[in-house]
Amino acid sequence: MTNSEVESVSGFVGNFNVTIRKKARYVDPDECTACAECANICPVAVPDEYQQGFSSRKAIYMPFPQAVPSAYILDMENCLGNNPIACGKCADVCEKKCINYDDQDELINIEAGVIIVATGMDVYDPTEYDEYGYTRFDNVITSMEFERLICAGGPTEGHFIRPSDRKIPKSIGFIQCVGSRSRNGRGNPYCSNICCMNTVKDTLLLCDHYPGVEARVFYMDMRAFGKGFEDLYMRSREEGVKYVRGIPGDVSENDENKNLVLTVENTTTGRREIHELEMLVLSQGVIPRQDGDQIKRLLTLSTTSDGFIMESHPKLKPVDAPTKGVYIAGCVESPKDVKDSVTQASAAAARASILLNAGKTRVEAITSHVETDKCNYCGICADVCPYNAILAPDRKAKRAPTIIQAACAGCGACAAECAQDAIIMRHFRDEQIMAQIEAILEVEPHKHLLTFACNWCSYAGGDNAGTARLQYPTTSRLIRTMCSGRVDEKFVLHAFRLGAPMVLVSGCHFADCHYINAVHWTQKRMDRLWNKLDKLKIRPDRLRLEWISAAEGQKFAKVMRELENSVRSVTMEEMEYTMKIMAEEENRILEKKLKAAAKKV
Amino acid sequence: MAQKEYDFKCLNCGREYRALYDIKNVTERTCPQCRSNSVRRMPEKKGAAKT
Ligand SMILES: [Zn+2]
Repeated sequence: MTNSEVESVSGFVGNFNVTIRKKARYVDPDECTACAECANICPVAVPDEYQQGFSSRKAIYMPFPQAVPSAYILDMENCLGNNPIACGKCADVCEKKCINYDDQDELINIEAGVIIVATGMDVYDPTEYDEYGYTRFDNVITSMEFERLICAGGPTEGHFIRPSDRKIPKSIGFIQCVGSRSRNGRGNPYCSNICCMNTVKDTLLLCDHYPGVEARVFYMDMRAFGKGFEDLYMRSREEGVKYVRGIPGDVSENDENKNLVLTVENTTTGRREIHELEMLVLSQGVIPRQDGDQIKRLLTLSTTSDGFIMESHPKLKPVDAPTKGVYIAGCVESPKDVKDSVTQASAAAARASILLNAGKTRVEAITSHVETDKCNYCGICADVCPYNAILAPDRKAKRAPTIIQAACAGCGACAAECAQDAIIMRHFRDEQIMAQIEAILEVEPHKHLLTFACNWCSYAGGDNAGTARLQYPTTSRLIRTMCSGRVDEKFVLHAFRLGAPMVLVSGCHFADCHYINAVHWTQKRMDRLWNKLDKLKIRPDRLRLEWISAAEGQKFAKVMRELENSVRSVTMEEMEYTMKIMAEEENRILEKKLKAAAKKV
Repeated sequence: MAQKEYDFKCLNCGREYRALYDIKNVTERTCPQCRSNSVRRMPEKKGAAKT
């Protein structure tokens, strides 16, 4: 389905219901023979987006020569009008009468078992790098514009000419990493992955088309890491392409001949160099799709700090999204070249077909369920669920929430937030975690550092510290939960009530959260708990929070060592006072719950 | 933007600072001094928060 957009997605793995807006194209693609008579007569000319604005197209046009379907489309925004018809020339010349000005958008509902997200990326706009003069000098172009100019199907039919005088340039420079690997507030900090080899390929094309052309590449590092890439890079050097290690600090234009003058510090020789070139190509980086928020929201996907979609697990589930039944492929996940995109797309298709062929899915027995008699229909569980796996309760109808087992991932945020204890996490029940707390603090509680560690990151960080033989105090005691979002306020209060000198809650960094955004609830809950401790005149710094990733064994050991000192700083009087206050607090909460239950009966 | 300036206090080293923060869009907090994540958002004093 082309020229269409996803409007809404509901349901869950195996049962997605997707509404798609099929936009009006005003031309019947089944009847259109792409004869081009309509475009020939159309009086409107607008910049051709596909040709990067180097040529124009008509208001009725074929987006690009290989477009599927091979049919024309009417750009109604630029059409001279159909209401009332002010022009109508295209419809007059169309022999097959396939132009319909009254065509309307169509909403189509489809049932889908799985969804693959392959929405691609956008390219970085180098305008903010004003020193390169992209908007000021005619002969500074981007690598995307270069593609069009060198392409046989491009606006110049493959004749690579410079915009200022339409002459074939004799010297061309390439500036690498424009908008990539930047930590100065402009562009992005990550490497865009494809630009180095794209430039190598471009220089070879130039050498092939125009023997004797002088090409110079200004770079920080050339990253030729893939299969055959190093050979290609060496071939480019052998062809005479000059690689200068240094990024130009300034580009100016020679007023007379419109050549570009680059000032660069060659970091290999340590000298300042001036290069005059007839044309300059900015090797622009790759950015996440700017209109990707809608898909992210619809499929409850999360992104890494660079804005690309986060995979379920970087090694074990690299094409699975955290939402079950959703897979990702291509540059929506990270910048990558064609080969890697095809590899990932094949993997996503295979993962999807496994699920479709099985016709059923296995759910890990760590999901939540509702004890309906305890529920007071507040709906907080549905609000906090990162997966939209909880159908909200209905207070009027006294209908408790329903948990879609296939969609629940078992983070436990719902159970931790439910004030009525009406949600049970299988294998991570309140009673089971309370029993662990009691066991840890049964003997000499004042010596132990009670730590809640999430399964994926912090607990694995502890493992990492262990396998690296890093020393940390033997008095540390870990309780594993699937997510730090499972750590209920009452667990922390109960630990203090039993004499814990310090409590540490640890989880994944926000960008690594395995449950989309369940860690947000951990942070909010910690703020509530710190305020509560303060109010009860218990030092809030006895409750700590640390985000420790699976790779941060060092941080895990460091935190444990530091907190060991803090444990020693808590006096016996302080602990006794805490235990007394917490016992009163627990009784108060219990009474409140009993009263609420009695009222309900 | 729902960002406001709030008071924060690191419970590890005691460093206090003010920073822009959006309560609805929670982000990871790190103490600028000791890199601890035990950074408490202090309760708002009436009329203290500024946009
Ligand atoms: Zn600090």
